[in-house]
Amino acid sequence: MFIIKPIKPLLRRNLNNGFLPVMKKFILLYLGFITFFSCAKDEEEYVLIPKNIELKIPSNFPGLLYDLSQNPLTEEGVALGKKLFYEGRLASDGIISCGFCHEQASAFTHHGHTVSHGVDGKVGFRNAQPIQNLAFFSEFTWDGAAIHLDLQPIIPITSDVEMNETIPSVLSKLNSYQEYEVLFTNAFGDKEVTSERMLKALSQFMVTMISGDSKYDKVIRNEVDATFTELESKGFEVFNNKCAACHSGALFTDQSYRNNGLPTNYKFPEEEGRKRVSGLEEDFYKFRVPSLRNVAKSFPYMHDGRFGNLEAVLDFYSDGMIQNGGVVDTLLIKSNGNLGIDLSSEEKTALLAFLNTLTDNTFLNDKRFAEF
Amino acid sequence: MKISKYIAAFLFVATLAACSSSEEVLTGEGNVTLEFDNAYNNSDLLLETAPYSANNTEKIKINKVKYIVSNIRLETATGSVFTYPKNESYFIIDESVEASQFITLKNVPEDDYTKVTFGIGVDQEKYLEGATGQGDFLAKAQEAGMMWSWQAGYKFMVFEGTYTSESTTTETAFAFHMGSHGTAVDNYKEVSLDLTNSARIRTDLTPVIHIVSDVSNILDGTTKFLLDDAAQIHVDGVKSPQIATNVSGMFVIDHVHN
Repeated sequence: MFIIKPIKPLLRRNLNNGFLPVMKKFILLYLGFITFFSCAKDEEEYVLIPKNIELKIPSNFPGLLYDLSQNPLTEEGVALGKKLFYEGRLASDGIISCGFCHEQASAFTHHGHTVSHGVDGKVGFRNAQPIQNLAFFSEFTWDGAAIHLDLQPIIPITSDVEMNETIPSVLSKLNSYQEYEVLFTNAFGDKEVTSERMLKALSQFMVTMISGDSKYDKVIRNEVDATFTELESKGFEVFNNKCAACHSGALFTDQSYRNNGLPTNYKFPEEEGRKRVSGLEEDFYKFRVPSLRNVAKSFPYMHDGRFGNLEAVLDFYSDGMIQNGGVVDTLLIKSNGNLGIDLSSEEKTALLAFLNTLTDNTFLNDKRFAEF
Repeated sequence: MKISKYIAAFLFVATLAACSSSEEVLTGEGNVTLEFDNAYNNSDLLLETAPYSANNTEKIKINKVKYIVSNIRLETATGSVFTYPKNESYFIIDESVEASQFITLKNVPEDDYTKVTFGIGVDQEKYLEGATGQGDFLAKAQEAGMMWSWQAGYKFMVFEGTYTSESTTTETAFAFHMGSHGTAVDNYKEVSLDLTNSARIRTDLTPVIHIVSDVSNILDGTTKFLLDDAAQIHVDGVKSPQIATNVSGMFVIDHVHN
């Protein structure tokens, strides 16, 4: 981990040709001693070489979308990222860290909060999304307001209802805290705090946050002793028939934006869904299909956290969808032509059992991601 | 002896002649300055002063004019192109900061350049480079008020002020902010302009390419915008691309100082 680079005094002395060869030897010997002693006396300069980390990607996962060649993972980079993730001083009030709204036990969501809370008791109008498997995504947040993981933290840091800061101000704060000198030096070679380094460290930490060790994963990977119960199997079948068109693949999302016929919320009249980012009328009330990993732990649900439990979500899909002023997704039409998904109460019970197999306790309790 | 003197003299003259007739050998590097001189129609732009006429019916007072200029390239008459290093090729022109209106490009190969190309805004490629690609520009842009806070993206152009019209008699704020919309709408545009006379870049010559940016084109360009119809345009899938087109059409080469 440490490479020792002793400082060698340079021997650059022209020996006069007039000296006797013997004398010359003595001088050399003498200089040699000086060199030797000066080496021993000098403080050795330690250069920390950041230790590379290899990312372990579950075998049933798709390929990484995050370009690690631009930001290689190192122990020191991830450690800095974690420190920043839990750093309340990134916010204008010195309290609201990323981890404030992204709590590990709730799959890094804001436990029990419909919408997130920010500085000075301000509230936003979106439910905090889980932070997991983000290295496999190309767009972020409910509406795709960030198109690179590195750039995503800019939104919460600068939003006045979240951390209410500016990047230049955050950089100057970090520059003034002594503990960051060491952390930035270890991760990037010197103590300079730049936006590039800060964002890269945050990404490194987030890239390591992979959840792929749920019961579902173990069953899919044919691991020893991993089998679905009868009810879970039935739920998996219902899921594949009725949900997996959108919640597809190992991440349980096709990463598209869709209008799922959710009634608009009068508490947040400014909400327009994806239209807020694209400015396109057809994107009104479209939201990104969320991943369902750890879904049992990431309540409440929907972009505004309106549903307190999964039963309410399934009831909404069977009976609650409406024309909400946007273009409701054509996949969400029942056999009788009405909006919604045909789901019997038996199917719902089975689905709930299956959704619970997506809980990854290894991830939720992983010390590498914990604040303390 | 005499003959050899003649030969020497001949060679000397031949050398001189060769020197004067051959083309200048350009191997060095020099600098060039791009001046972005904001104007309104044919007048100099003055912020927060007498109202300008927009679309003949509205009167506007302008408080802010800022835009991002990027990815600068220079081309010679023979078609050789010099691309300024991408990571250093992002600039914010701000009417209220005089120094920002002069972009000096360093280490440009000596040549006679006849064309300049630049982008308005930030290209998707740059976004997709993540933190690596943004470097310090991110902090600079935020300091200059050229980043949105609800979207991790740059404002390519900010045009703000107040206006009155026949139906709007009290001074009312207007603000046009234009940028790309995530991956949904790419509003980055490139502008190519032929120079009125060639910019002769030499180690000891720093030409100034004087570009006039007629900001009246933002409201009155390919698309006409009446502030009475919409005084605030920030993210609009239809209008924002039209604003981008108007902005990209507002640049004219006035002259080149050599």
